[in-house]
Amino acid sequence: MAIPYILMDKFDYLIIGGGVCGATAADIIRQNDKNCSIAVVSDEPHPLYSRVMLSKPEFFLGHIPFEKIWMKGTEWYEQNRISFLGGRLATALDTAQKTISLRDGTRLRYGKLLIASGVRARTWSGPGADKKGIYVLRSLEHGKAIMEAVKIKKHAVVIGGGFISFEMDDLLRKANIEVTHLIRENYYWEPVLDEASGRMIETALEKGGVKIMRNKEIAEIKGGDEVEGVLLKDGTEIACDMVLCGIGAYGELDWVKNAGVAVNKGILANEYLETSAPDVWTGGDIAEFKDLILDENIQLGNWVNAHEQGRIAALNMLGKKIPFKFVSFYTTQGFGISIAFTGDVWTVGNNRTVINRGTPESGSYARIILKGNEVEGATFINRTQEMSVVSKLIRQNIDVSKHHSELADPNFDLKKLLPTPTPEPIVISN
Amino acid sequence: MANIQEYPRNKDGSVYAKVAVDRDLCIGAASCIAVSEVTFELDGENKAIVIDPNTADDATLLMAAQSCPTKAILLFDKEGKQVFPS
Repeated sequence: MAIPYILMDKFDYLIIGGGVCGATAADIIRQNDKNCSIAVVSDEPHPLYSRVMLSKPEFFLGHIPFEKIWMKGTEWYEQNRISFLGGRLATALDTAQKTISLRDGTRLRYGKLLIASGVRARTWSGPGADKKGIYVLRSLEHGKAIMEAVKIKKHAVVIGGGFISFEMDDLLRKANIEVTHLIRENYYWEPVLDEASGRMIETALEKGGVKIMRNKEIAEIKGGDEVEGVLLKDGTEIACDMVLCGIGAYGELDWVKNAGVAVNKGILANEYLETSAPDVWTGGDIAEFKDLILDENIQLGNWVNAHEQGRIAALNMLGKKIPFKFVSFYTTQGFGISIAFTGDVWTVGNNRTVINRGTPESGSYARIILKGNEVEGATFINRTQEMSVVSKLIRQNIDVSKHHSELADPNFDLKKLLPTPTPEPIVISN
Repeated sequence: MANIQEYPRNKDGSVYAKVAVDRDLCIGAASCIAVSEVTFELDGENKAIVIDPNTADDATLLMAAQSCPTKAILLFDKEGKQVFPS
């Protein structure tokens, strides 16, 4: 039986997603239009909190007070006359009628719509997936569950090789939990990183007490109701009482696709973050947008990107026409090592030239990735301080074809390759 | 003890007289740099530092502070009162 709709509020600006993209967009819209109606629909009950903080050991272990997680409280929404509809899931979109249907039967009309609904963490889906003690880290509830678990658990198996699993290792070790980290590949972060960088990270992890097992995959998670161990495909059994998955994320796209909006792995958008449907924009982790700097469609999952897309999408919803032009980056640190990526770091099959800067032996090592004559991306181990300048080289499309030796010289100041002062960023005015 | 690095600001007409970075809270997410790269940079410890406290206007500076996922950027008015985070 179809659920009858409960009410039919209309909002000039309707935002699906209460994360940093959606909340930033609501903020910018209110700053620029004092009288319009704005609503933020979030499938999570909470107003904006810091998703980034969730994977930081300092927060987990109580060194940073829990209250620091809140970024914009319910009072902020009230003060800014933004309707916050928390714990409500959008399930259907009608771009002709300009309505959004929620799971509880509510239908909302919109003037302009931003879909910033985010992605969900992928979890183990094979045999034994029903056991208690399998964790992912995406939402506040996930974080709270892990915070409770680390108080009583003794031995964790971590799967996946990326930023989240690196940070999981760190918080688990700081909580004195034994950690066995299973990597499907030959080394950490293969093939995104080269072997030398991957081994530097592995060395740091191992010094920090993480046992790394390479070329390993789980066949089954064993136990009764609770996780008691994992059986690997090679027959090895490892006893453990928790399994943490850092194995990627996916977007819930069916409801968008069913509305006729073009999707791929994310919701497709042009450089203005406009989707294929009129008056519908997208941003944040769910957006697969046209990246003008890299000249390709990309989908990114990080705080900084989501914040910036919220800002630009909002300005465009307000009637401006500003392309999203941003070199995205990721950074993390732990186990006495810092890791940073900027731009497009994917080199496999991309015909890229890679210039090594510094050496693994010296403890500080970067890879500058060139596409033709220009820098396209870079990875840094213990050289995070060079990330900003390399991001500028990428954004300004600097021809570095005559500067390979300088790029390879770890003592050369890369700022000298910037010909002009960086243009001022877009200024928001009220 | 908190490890806070302070940067005086003397931009004409600005509400803010000081920017500060709480280095214990800073995790190097670099959202501040995304909003205002004339103001912020990461140092060798993956912490935000202020390279120019005066160029950015107030709205941009506030947005940079607001964007920080750990609220590590503090803004102070001319009376020395912390105005962000409030």
